[in-house]
Amino acid sequence: MLRARRFWPLALVAAVALFLAACEGGEEQPATGTPRAQQPTGAPITIGMMYDGTGATQLIGVAYKAGFEDYINLINSKGGIDGHPINVIFCEHGYNADRGVECYENQKRGGAIGTVTYGTPITAAVIGRCNQDQIVCTFPGYGSAAAANGERFPYGFPIAASYWSQAGAAVRFVLDEWQREGKSGKPKIAYLFYDNPAGNEPREVLRTIAQREGLQLEEVAVPAPGTEMSSQVTRITQSIRPDWVITHLFGSSPSVSIKALKEAGFPLNRVVALVWGSGDADVEAAGGWAFAEGYYGLQFTAIGTDLPVLREITEMYRSQGKQPPDLMTKNNVYYMRGVANAAVMVEGIRNALRQKGYPITGADLKAGIEAIRGEVAGVVNLNLSARDHEGGGSVRIYQVRGGRWQLARDWFQGYRDVIESFVYR
Amino acid sequence: MDFFLSLLVKGLTLGCIYALVALGFVLIYKATSVINFAVGEMMMLAGFLITAFVGLYGLPLAAAIGLSLLLMVLFGFVLERGVLRPMIGRPVIGMIMATLGLGIFLRGFAPVMWGVDKKNLDLMLPAQPLRLESIVVPPVDLAGVGITLFLLACFAYFFQRTRSGIAVRAVADDQQAAMAMGIRVSTVFALSWALAGITAVAGGVVWGNKIGVDQYLSLLGLRVFPVVILGGLDSIAGTIIGGLVVGASENIFGGYFDKYVGGGLKDFVPYVLMLLVLMVRPYGLFGREVIERV
Amino acid sequence: MINRECGIFRTTYQADMSLYGVPLARITVAAFALFFALVFPFVVDHKHLVWANFAGISIVAAIGLNLLTGYTGQISIGHAAFMATGGYTAAIMTTRADVPFWVGLIAGGVFASAYGLIVGLPSVRVKGFYLAIATLAAQFITEWIINHVEWIGGGFQASIIVPPASLGPVRFDTELEKYYLVLALVVLAVVAGLNIARSRLGRAFVAIRDRDVAAEIIGVDIFRYKLLSFMISSFFAGVAGALYVYYVGTATIEAFQISRSIEILAMIIIGGLGSILGSIFGAVFVVVLPLALEDILEFFRGVLPVTDIDTFVSQLKLMVFGGLIMLFLMVEPEGLNRLWRNVKDYFRVWPFSY
Repeated sequence: MLRARRFWPLALVAAVALFLAACEGGEEQPATGTPRAQQPTGAPITIGMMYDGTGATQLIGVAYKAGFEDYINLINSKGGIDGHPINVIFCEHGYNADRGVECYENQKRGGAIGTVTYGTPITAAVIGRCNQDQIVCTFPGYGSAAAANGERFPYGFPIAASYWSQAGAAVRFVLDEWQREGKSGKPKIAYLFYDNPAGNEPREVLRTIAQREGLQLEEVAVPAPGTEMSSQVTRITQSIRPDWVITHLFGSSPSVSIKALKEAGFPLNRVVALVWGSGDADVEAAGGWAFAEGYYGLQFTAIGTDLPVLREITEMYRSQGKQPPDLMTKNNVYYMRGVANAAVMVEGIRNALRQKGYPITGADLKAGIEAIRGEVAGVVNLNLSARDHEGGGSVRIYQVRGGRWQLARDWFQGYRDVIESFVYR
Repeated sequence: MDFFLSLLVKGLTLGCIYALVALGFVLIYKATSVINFAVGEMMMLAGFLITAFVGLYGLPLAAAIGLSLLLMVLFGFVLERGVLRPMIGRPVIGMIMATLGLGIFLRGFAPVMWGVDKKNLDLMLPAQPLRLESIVVPPVDLAGVGITLFLLACFAYFFQRTRSGIAVRAVADDQQAAMAMGIRVSTVFALSWALAGITAVAGGVVWGNKIGVDQYLSLLGLRVFPVVILGGLDSIAGTIIGGLVVGASENIFGGYFDKYVGGGLKDFVPYVLMLLVLMVRPYGLFGREVIERV
Repeated sequence: MINRECGIFRTTYQADMSLYGVPLARITVAAFALFFALVFPFVVDHKHLVWANFAGISIVAAIGLNLLTGYTGQISIGHAAFMATGGYTAAIMTTRADVPFWVGLIAGGVFASAYGLIVGLPSVRVKGFYLAIATLAAQFITEWIINHVEWIGGGFQASIIVPPASLGPVRFDTELEKYYLVLALVVLAVVAGLNIARSRLGRAFVAIRDRDVAAEIIGVDIFRYKLLSFMISSFFAGVAGALYVYYVGTATIEAFQISRSIEILAMIIIGGLGSILGSIFGAVFVVVLPLALEDILEFFRGVLPVTDIDTFVSQLKLMVFGGLIMLFLMVEPEGLNRLWRNVKDYFRVWPFSY
């Protein structure tokens, strides 16, 4: 077994080389003038990336992974980081905690100094190990919000915006809209959430904020798999009659919620979804862009098909004589999250190399990521520190308008003090 | 009162389309005593087939549904012939496990063939939901109720009036006796799998339109258990009654009491109800009682 | 186990019930024990050690379920609920009462077994698949409780981080140390399982499975033994759940969902109902095969004509895994254990078959 395993990478490299060679022979030389890809010269730096390609969130996972992979390839095609190429060990876990542990151990063995623990259950299962092994585990926009406390979870990074920050920002947005429209009193908010640990997480924060602001808050749970919510929506439209609905749903349920709310006559421009309910696929599956006109979605990355980083990735594909994957446009939101996650990793490695120099360990990468300030690759906005592993929890709000997501509100935070009182309690 | 009526009407329509899924399950159990764990996955396959015919090959919807019906019937036959027939006469648990294997296979097969993204199954129904006072019913739900009732009528006729239908019932009653009477049990098995294929298409159409076609369709398979248990595992009429009871009760309990317990009643009220029914009637409301004599 | 039973004709019941069927068996068992204790962990890769640990935990749970389903004939599709009970009991006791690891482990088993007693009550009246669905109800209700009762779920996303197990001065920190912990418990579970199966208790179980009315007539107290079976089975599941929690380091409800219940059921059906060896075969098949398939399919990475190979491989893996389950069951519907016995029977008098 051992011998065979040593042989495999070699065979793999040979096979890939053959494959590439075959391609190279077949296609024409790139036209003069296009920049030739630079070859990285240094020793590689290994990181891991887990994702879901067969489980409950495969729709998100596949686009996420594509974005992550493309960004890393882009960096490598530009000569790596200070000449060091990045080597990613991908691992598909099917949204299964056991497989996540298996992935983690595999990546640890492969020398990964950091990884992406895609999925809340997987994050819960490996976060203890991350701290113990000193491997940086990033989980942007999911996982546990409490891990933002860098002192309690030195190697856990809920970068961008945890569920707590998302909930805070959503309420902030609702209240600001309420004021902007010049309405008096306080809005009544219904919180429609997926009844799993991830969906339950923001409830405490929401209740605290509601109490402080004197809002009326009603919680409406959707049990898994969330494919059906007629009683919940009936309750919202006919019993609770809220002014705004904040939804926190996953997988198939966001599209079901959009459809059901619209059919019940609830105005979609009074609905704001947390980050996993604001994908392109959610809108399309609900009945298309025209149908979902007005729907608000939180994003912790910049989205859109005309971002500079996407132009670079497209350029990279073109120079290889290939077309960029259609996920880039078709599932742009989740693709961008992969890009953002990769960009944070790359930025962290770059900082670590600057601070310490090759070779870097998980501890160096941790310090490198903690040194990130401001926009990264033009897609995320972070202010990380050794204490704050989330980076401020800034989000943007986009609205479905005229057949695409349009920016409704640029980077902002909501109820930072409340969220911090939870993180550092 | 409006609220209650809304919940009730929605629950009942929902129950009808749960029954659609349950029907495929009961058909198999009745004839072959196999618990078909792949009932959700078969529905998913049917949904994917229809969207693929419409989306990739540009067929009109009716043709796509017709072709999918044909393919799913064929699928039923092939499954029976290829996988399940070697197990006839052996412990039935092997066949049950094989359906689990089939489910896993299909969950890998569908994305390989058609990708992971969610596909819309547009039935070209009117976009505006029907409104009666405050009760809102989406057209697809009504269509679902119609399809369920139509299929039930068809199956009722089939089982009561046709030779093959009576043969299925005979096999369900006693395999050996049926064999002795000259009924080909293997044909009956194949027939019931083919019928399950038809209900899978019906379920795929309705649910595919409701929630979109992707792997989430397969998860609906789990929702049928309280329905079939309430109605009785081997009763066709039981599926509709079970469906109605489950749909109405989960909606009403969910609507009124969710706020007291923090939500999620919808998920387990059907099961609690089911347990209560089982305590009183261990074979469901309409299931055939096995009388044991010593 | 793998000894040829050529020329062995048992003349007493006692001989038939003995643990070691042939004299050589003692040596075989010793050889196996030595192999798994001293050779296996040192020749395999780190990755395979992780597989072995997950397989080991599954074996404990599968033996438990096999006692209930295979021996007593009561199907349970809610066994993950008992694992969750055990796991959360251990996690709560370790983190809040600071009890030593072994206490948590046993308490996990005991609590699960008490819970099994409650869940098993419908079995007194309900049979067959109707009972199976009653256990499914237990599964959903348990999930709901853990998700919603903060005292149990722990608040932190219904997951509780647990420190690594330690026994006196020994801490089970690394994969290898955890391997020995799992191995020890697997051995205990196998021995316990084998002995339950061949004792008076096991015979009562089998009598109920084969014909409950007949069993009652010959004096087996069905009420008592069915519930006992539920309790013993849940005890195993609870210990497996606690072990899982100590191994992974976190108790999270999303590790004990319906999919795991079905997975354990799949293990014992594929392995063979009513057989301890079958439970082991099944658990190894279900846990290790998908992982091994990944490695095998990895081989074709360069030649597959798709853009996202990692995803394609993982989907292909599901197809092959599902296909293999069907294939094995077509060859032998009674599971791997039966297949193994067929092979053994063939070689029993080989090469002089006639």
